[in-house]
Amino acid sequence: MGEPDSPLLNEANVGGAGKSGASPVPAVSMRQITKRFPGVLANDRVDFEAAAGEVHALLGENGAGKTTLSNVLTGLYRPDGGVVEVYGNPVEFRSPRDALAAGIGMVHQHFRLVAPFTVAENIVLGDHRAEGRSFVIHQRAIERRVAELGERYGLGVDPQARLWQLSVGEQQRVEILKALYREARILIMDEPTAVLTPQEAEALFETLRAMAEEGRTVVFISHKLHEVTAVADRVTVLRAGRNVATVPAAQATQRSLAALMVGREIDEARRIERERPAGEEVALEVEGLSVPGDRGGLAVKDVSLAVRAGEIVGVAGVAGNGQRELAEAVYGMRGATEGVVRVNGSALASGDPRVAIAARIAHVPEDRLGTGLAPSLSVAANVVLKSYRRPPVSRGPLLAVRRMRELALSLIRRYDVQTPGPDTPVRNLSGGNLQKLVLGREFQGEPRILVAAQPTRGLDVGAIETVHAYLRDAASKGVAVLLISEDLDELRAITDRIVVMYEGRIVGERDAQTATVEEIGYLMAGGRDEA
Amino acid sequence: MNDSLLVDLLAHAVLYGTPLLFAALGELLAERSGVLNLGVEGMMLVGAVMGFWAVQSFDAPSGVSLAAAVGVAALAGAAMALIHAFLVITLRANQIVSGLALTIFAGALGLSSYLGNDLDLAGVPADASFQNRDVLGLADVPVLGPIVFGQNALVYASWVCVVLVGLYLARTRPGLNVRAVGESPAAADAMGIDVSAYRYAHTLAGGALAGVGGACFSLAITPQWVDGLTRGAGWIAIALVIFAFWRADLCLVGAYFFGAFSYLPFALEARGVAEGVPSEVFDSLPYVLTIVVLVFVSFGFAKRRLGAPAALGVPYVREER
Amino acid sequence: MRLERRLEQPRWLVLAVPVGSIAFSFAVMAVVLVATGHDPGYTYRRLFSAAFTADGALTSTLVFATPIVFTGLAAAAAFRMQLFNIGGEGQLYLGAVAAVGIALWLGDRGVTSTPLLILAMCLCGAAAGAAWAAIPGVLRAFFKTNEIITSLMLNYVAALLLTYLILDSFSYWRDTESFEGKTFGIGKVIPEEAHWPSATLDVAGEVVVPLGFAMAIVLAIVVWVLYSRTRFGFELQVIGDSQRTARYAGMRLRRKILAVMCLSGAIAGLGGAALEGDFAHQLDPTGLPASYYGYTGIVVAALARYNPLAVVPVGFLLGGLLSAGFTLQGADFPSGLVGVMQGIILFCALGGELLIRYRVRIGRGMRGPASAAAEPAP
Repeated sequence: MGEPDSPLLNEANVGGAGKSGASPVPAVSMRQITKRFPGVLANDRVDFEAAAGEVHALLGENGAGKTTLSNVLTGLYRPDGGVVEVYGNPVEFRSPRDALAAGIGMVHQHFRLVAPFTVAENIVLGDHRAEGRSFVIHQRAIERRVAELGERYGLGVDPQARLWQLSVGEQQRVEILKALYREARILIMDEPTAVLTPQEAEALFETLRAMAEEGRTVVFISHKLHEVTAVADRVTVLRAGRNVATVPAAQATQRSLAALMVGREIDEARRIERERPAGEEVALEVEGLSVPGDRGGLAVKDVSLAVRAGEIVGVAGVAGNGQRELAEAVYGMRGATEGVVRVNGSALASGDPRVAIAARIAHVPEDRLGTGLAPSLSVAANVVLKSYRRPPVSRGPLLAVRRMRELALSLIRRYDVQTPGPDTPVRNLSGGNLQKLVLGREFQGEPRILVAAQPTRGLDVGAIETVHAYLRDAASKGVAVLLISEDLDELRAITDRIVVMYEGRIVGERDAQTATVEEIGYLMAGGRDEA
Repeated sequence: MNDSLLVDLLAHAVLYGTPLLFAALGELLAERSGVLNLGVEGMMLVGAVMGFWAVQSFDAPSGVSLAAAVGVAALAGAAMALIHAFLVITLRANQIVSGLALTIFAGALGLSSYLGNDLDLAGVPADASFQNRDVLGLADVPVLGPIVFGQNALVYASWVCVVLVGLYLARTRPGLNVRAVGESPAAADAMGIDVSAYRYAHTLAGGALAGVGGACFSLAITPQWVDGLTRGAGWIAIALVIFAFWRADLCLVGAYFFGAFSYLPFALEARGVAEGVPSEVFDSLPYVLTIVVLVFVSFGFAKRRLGAPAALGVPYVREER
Repeated sequence: MRLERRLEQPRWLVLAVPVGSIAFSFAVMAVVLVATGHDPGYTYRRLFSAAFTADGALTSTLVFATPIVFTGLAAAAAFRMQLFNIGGEGQLYLGAVAAVGIALWLGDRGVTSTPLLILAMCLCGAAAGAAWAAIPGVLRAFFKTNEIITSLMLNYVAALLLTYLILDSFSYWRDTESFEGKTFGIGKVIPEEAHWPSATLDVAGEVVVPLGFAMAIVLAIVVWVLYSRTRFGFELQVIGDSQRTARYAGMRLRRKILAVMCLSGAIAGLGGAALEGDFAHQLDPTGLPASYYGYTGIVVAALARYNPLAVVPVGFLLGGLLSAGFTLQGADFPSGLVGVMQGIILFCALGGELLIRYRVRIGRGMRGPASAAAEPAP
């Protein structure tokens, strides 16, 4: 797919297509990179190298230091130690501007896009190159070039559309186009498939391979093993801030990579059959629910589902198809315009979390720190966030501060929350501990129903296992669990049934034991259910 | 016909609305970059007093002296804005408290009063002031004459500013960049835009325009120096920006709207209309109106994407996790 | 310069920064004084003497400190919750109007019991202040209208109300008997029995402690207990930190917002009542707005870092500054100096906040490879 007039081929340093992994001068060379944050050593003397024309995967579990390393490469962070070289020239990036000028483009995991702007405006933002530089913006010329690029790489988007109107997958295309517009020779993709259906992910991999064949360098950051083996030429594994290995992809298996990633042998995700408690009454029932979204229009359209006591029902779907709004509506944080939510047969008033709490619905929200916890307040305060109204925490109008601390200490012990003490502000805790705290607090209320949204997002393998154990445990004690997740492997491993949401509707349901990734991926992408 | 209440009111709406317009345009620029500056009242007063001082001190033909005075007023306003900018951009201070501190520091009972007394400026009319002109000889044309063609130079300058600011934000590259800085500093930073530099530049520009707005009082409308001359115009300007949905053209509409209500008491009194009503009722109209307008704006549009730059009032720290 | 967020905030720093910023601001002010041809040492000595050491200085300081401790508490109570009630000024005026009104009315009906009059003045003052604050409160709670501008606009309206009552009409509050009253417009004086008592202490000379000041101290403690030891206070903490989390926890946001605004207004109104009962004894439409008690209260609250207990000593110190400014005003002692000083102190305190929240690293972050310890990779 390389065009004869592509400026890349004029670059004297472009080596071979990278299949052998040994180019004369690596496109990117990072040596002994060290980066510290308060309380954590994110990168510990990491060496990393990527050749021109190769797709190089950077693999590691959440918290291993992959994003930090890439942020150093793109000029967002300044390393505390180490050297970075681009095409053999040592560079010191003082800001993203320098990295962009050196030909490094990044597609972030959390998009750095401006929502009210159009696609064209987002792409052309901050362009300092002489060619694109003009005081006045030439609208049409920019739109033409954007359309051109989109067609060439299979990343079509309407240049005049406002960003908030686009789907998440389309927004990602804009992120990629931004880098291409600036003719980035080195492209860094940070967990790009988190927001894509399996089919869309395949298409993306093709695009990446095409770019590599043109002579560009693609650094692909991921924690998903099957992706890495599918698209990469070489794989570098990070663990706890260190580079533990760099291997050609052809010589690695998912198992060997997993062992390197976690530091021990792990079994592939197996289904663990649970004891189902006797009696299968429906604990949570949603009927004909329609919920408005943030931008006008409905985010949830006429959804009906039921969860029995002791059952774990998974909701699959790409982010942005209404799952968040569904969870919020069940819990009362968002009012429904139509339909009803029933707990053990009785309907709940819509739009009031207090009603849901009284009905013993527990909710672990997607946004742990911004919704589920008060970030500046102490661990103890957050433990009693829902129980402060009743004794023993409050006696009349007064708060029993000592009892609060005692409760917090016991919860910290029971759920193994790593924290200096009950008075620490929760924002200082790591993701895994935050989640344990939230789960612990929710379980304290002895819920009948648990709605968990993306509970393992951003957690390391150990924490993920813990959370899964808690969920299974709750179900075996009779709690009805509604698990919303973008991770298909997770859903297949621990749920009983999987429903798929697409554009606000439920488009299919499968038994978790027999469902295949292809089937569910098809439904997630809007495919029709023949069944 | 040109003496009728309506024409008189509209002509003065433009005159009285001009300081509001300058200050609002300035605050608009600052807020578009994400910086909320509540010190507008203080900056206007300092601009007013320094502009007045300049005109009293300069010994030059009135045109030159006035132009220089406006320049001095702009510099004074920008100097005040620099304090706020340093505190909130570099030192990450709370923008609301810092703006209030600036108003207390610079406002009536503060620096502007200090300067006014120290430099002995009170009680004397300005040596030169902006007079109403006769543009193209059309100042006597019915209706439009006094409103459009019979204003002073500062009014015409304000119209130019509206056009410039509007075009700047909508059509130019730096304008696009500053809008990005105000909406999503993280995105702007990742694209290589210097967030701090843009914020400083636009906050200072805001101060300069506020200073000019203050000079409108002491060099055109009053034209004298009195302690607390602006009587809350700075605060109305801040509300104006919200009312105008952060758009330059709507700032003009809003400014004249409020200007009309500022002048209304005088117009009515001169014509003996509504004599029984205490003057305080009319004096309070601009303030009450501001509240009413704000309620309408926030009521209907809470859900739409019109309006405030998303990162307004929030300090940006790059390495924060 | 790089900033790293601190994980915990050391206690000594939390105290050192406000104190340090006051010291720093005095230094800055000295520079300004020198630049404008005044002698800083001389000015400071006169300030200090007029505020604290001269005969009757402490008494005068307490006169100024009393209203600003009230307005400081009012501001702290609201600002802590991210509710920026700038309307303390107007709420104080309304409190004064109501307190004077009820004192006059009861006096006319022959009520002579001082405790009863004081109680009535306090209740009416607080109620009026709360009502005035309820306007921006309702608008904010139910219509999400920004409370900063709405509460501020009402300050101007309140000042106009004062003018109307005394200067522009022959209202109940206006003195219509005397010659001055009829011509110039002076407020009626409240009856002797409605004058609040004070205690005379023999501390550092004779100091007259007005009832209002004692009341303010008690109020500070009450507010502190309310905010740190009650369910209500807990809810406010959560709401102030993250509104979304508060909603998630089932808290009733709108009611709390309105409650806090009204509480803040009530405290400011109470300050107006104390002002009238202790010192002014009549409505003064020109003097009252010129004193800027409300805005000064915001400065006090900010310096006290919104801690109700700290508001009292900070208010006392700032009261000293105001009192000295008042006593010394004249050609020798520049007017506007007080506002300038307050502004500088506040700027320094704001800047100092940075040190409390972040650790500052000056210089470049990147070190060359030579300094990295050479260890073989695992």
